Amino acid sequence: MIPDLKGWLPVDADVVDGRPGLRWLDMSGVSLTEPSFQQTVERAKADGSRGELFTEFDVLLQVEKLLDSVEPTGFIFHSSRCGSTLVANACRAVSNSIVLSEANPIDKLIARFITDAAGDKVKESLYSVFVRGVVRALGQRRTGDEQHLFIKFACSSTSQIDRIRCIWPNVPWLFLYRDPVETIVSNLNDIPPWLVDKDRRVLAAITSVSPASVAEMKLEELCARSIGSFYSTAHRLANTNALLLNYTQLSVSEIAGVLKFFNVRPSKEEMDEIAHRSGFYSKEVSGTREFVADAQAKQQGASDLIREMAAAWASEPYRLLEEKRLQSNDQKQLNQS
Amino acid sequence: MSSINPVPAKHVVVTDFDGGEGILVDLNTKKYYQLNETAMIVWKGLENGKSVGEIVADITANYEVAPEKATLSVQRIVDNFQTYKLVASQ
Repeated sequence: MIPDLKGWLPVDADVVDGRPGLRWLDMSGVSLTEPSFQQTVERAKADGSRGELFTEFDVLLQVEKLLDSVEPTGFIFHSSRCGSTLVANACRAVSNSIVLSEANPIDKLIARFITDAAGDKVKESLYSVFVRGVVRALGQRRTGDEQHLFIKFACSSTSQIDRIRCIWPNVPWLFLYRDPVETIVSNLNDIPPWLVDKDRRVLAAITSVSPASVAEMKLEELCARSIGSFYSTAHRLANTNALLLNYTQLSVSEIAGVLKFFNVRPSKEEMDEIAHRSGFYSKEVSGTREFVADAQAKQQGASDLIREMAAAWASEPYRLLEEKRLQSNDQKQLNQS
Repeated sequence: MSSINPVPAKHVVVTDFDGGEGILVDLNTKKYYQLNETAMIVWKGLENGKSVGEIVADITANYEVAPEKATLSVQRIVDNFQTYKLVASQ
């Protein structure tokens, strides 16, 4: 019997009693307004009265045909700490949009391509179907007016862009990135969960070393190798369906360009809202802390080890990516003239 | 060829994937089966209540394949569905 999951969203992927599956929460009436999906989930859970449910993944196949869902409009991939939340918030300012920002069930299912499906074509297909199903479940129309669905993936999902593209070959995608030294400094100042993931198989796959090597690696090296890998993946896969954007380019007009690339035309009011939001720190729920540019401070705060690791593992992929972005921009200008 | 039409079992869920391919899930055993394009055509035919002969006719009408070969392929696929208890006899 299929549970009635209208209004319920998968909020995490987990293993319960040895069974991998999804945790669902009754999210009726809850808008996804926070900068990250998990912040919204925490708010919803805080009222203590919402129903919760655990199902195995196969429920996704049963419910996907029953739900009225929005097809993805655009994907945001990134190399971490590079302004991707700002872009996601801008997408949220567009009326009738759903923004799934680093939603655990999506990124954890994508991680299973590495931890459970490596080299197994059937499992790869299976997880592709589950990823599509979880996006349909999260992208269900809950008010009836939703028209756009933007997904910002966790940075570690960048390693699976090719598999995600196989599921949605026509969805335009953005890769946002930042100078490697600044990115490493930011990650080490406030260490994110992905960099200290106890299941080291994901980072091992990203950095092409063994899980044991990941365990022994200094965070500076691990971070440098990871972002170097993200740059390389984006460089290898970026095509006419992809937009490369450097943190240094971020401005209201560039964000408008991203939305245009996603085939979305925001109204003047929505653009005003995007301009207003971009003046504040993007990850804060209240949206009141003013944004202060910190590139110089991050460069000055970089240790010798950070610089050494960035030079060894990330600088060259970053240079190649920049080269590709600039060539692509030149080509676009030529096409427009 | 059996004259009894097999039909998809109620405990089996199908989803299409990657163009014409598909995945079947047996909700009783929690086993998953990947179907190639031909197997997916057979499954959809059974879902629509078609007999093996009608599915063979569909395939030969749309693909360059000899009826004898199509019959063998369809029957083998249906036999596999029956072996794994993914279909029931109507």
